[in-house]
Amino acid sequence: MTTNMIIAVVLGIMFGFTLNKGGLTRYNKIVNVFRFTDLTVLKYMLTALVVAMIGLYGLRSLGLITFPNVPATYIAGNLIGGLIFGIGMALTGY
Amino acid sequence: MSTFIKQFRKELWSPYIAGIFLGITGVLAVWLSDSLLGASGAFENLAGIIGNAIAPETFNNMYFNFIMPSEITWGVMLFVGTIIGGFLGALSSGTFKFRVNGDSQWKAIFGPQTWKRWGLAFLGAIILEYGAGIAGGCTSGLAISGGMLLAPAAFIFIGGMFASGILTALIVYRKRY
Repeated sequence: MTTNMIIAVVLGIMFGFTLNKGGLTRYNKIVNVFRFTDLTVLKYMLTALVVAMIGLYGLRSLGLITFPNVPATYIAGNLIGGLIFGIGMALTGY
Repeated sequence: MSTFIKQFRKELWSPYIAGIFLGITGVLAVWLSDSLLGASGAFENLAGIIGNAIAPETFNNMYFNFIMPSEITWGVMLFVGTIIGGFLGALSSGTFKFRVNGDSQWKAIFGPQTWKRWGLAFLGAIILEYGAGIAGGCTSGLAISGGMLLAPAAFIFIGGMFASGILTALIVYRKRY
């Protein structure tokens, strides 16, 4: 067990905790965002995005962090993968 | 203080509050470990480990050797933590219990049978994980973690995910959409 692995578990606990408290572990919350009857998923996702963007770009301009490898952009793969992913997501609600 | 504890123990937080915490978690992941919060990758790592034990020749390919290594990675440990975190979240609100088929909205649409829920969850998860494998991440690893680094891939993925998600929901719900 390296320190890095322990950090991973702790961050995982924070991640799982917020998912549970946000209601993102429920079928109805996930599928209802696709029906536009409950926008919890979008509120949660976009809030996280905005907070993390400000945090990351702020810390980088202070010289405290360097960015890891950014997920690769290959338009067809990202798009087709996203299309397949959405089917599974709407069916299972996970 | 007691108000704080009361708010903390609520079953559902405001999604904005939960989102702020996820955002902080995402920043910490980059800061402390130089990693991204990916959930789907862990399943591929684990699948690689199991596959190497059962059929080493089949799994001896580029994907499982280099792209998704068959070992206990940072992501696998994150995944273990996620399960514990979800468990603690349910415990803190006092809603933890074992369920095999609990969602009332699901039952209204697909029927009350448990095997249907499990079967469709299994099938849906295969589709979902396959899509994540092609795109290079899932909602957390690509859409949120990539999005916060302003990776174009994340926004293409979100577009695709919502397009097919809305279409699937339309087909499943038909008149009840």
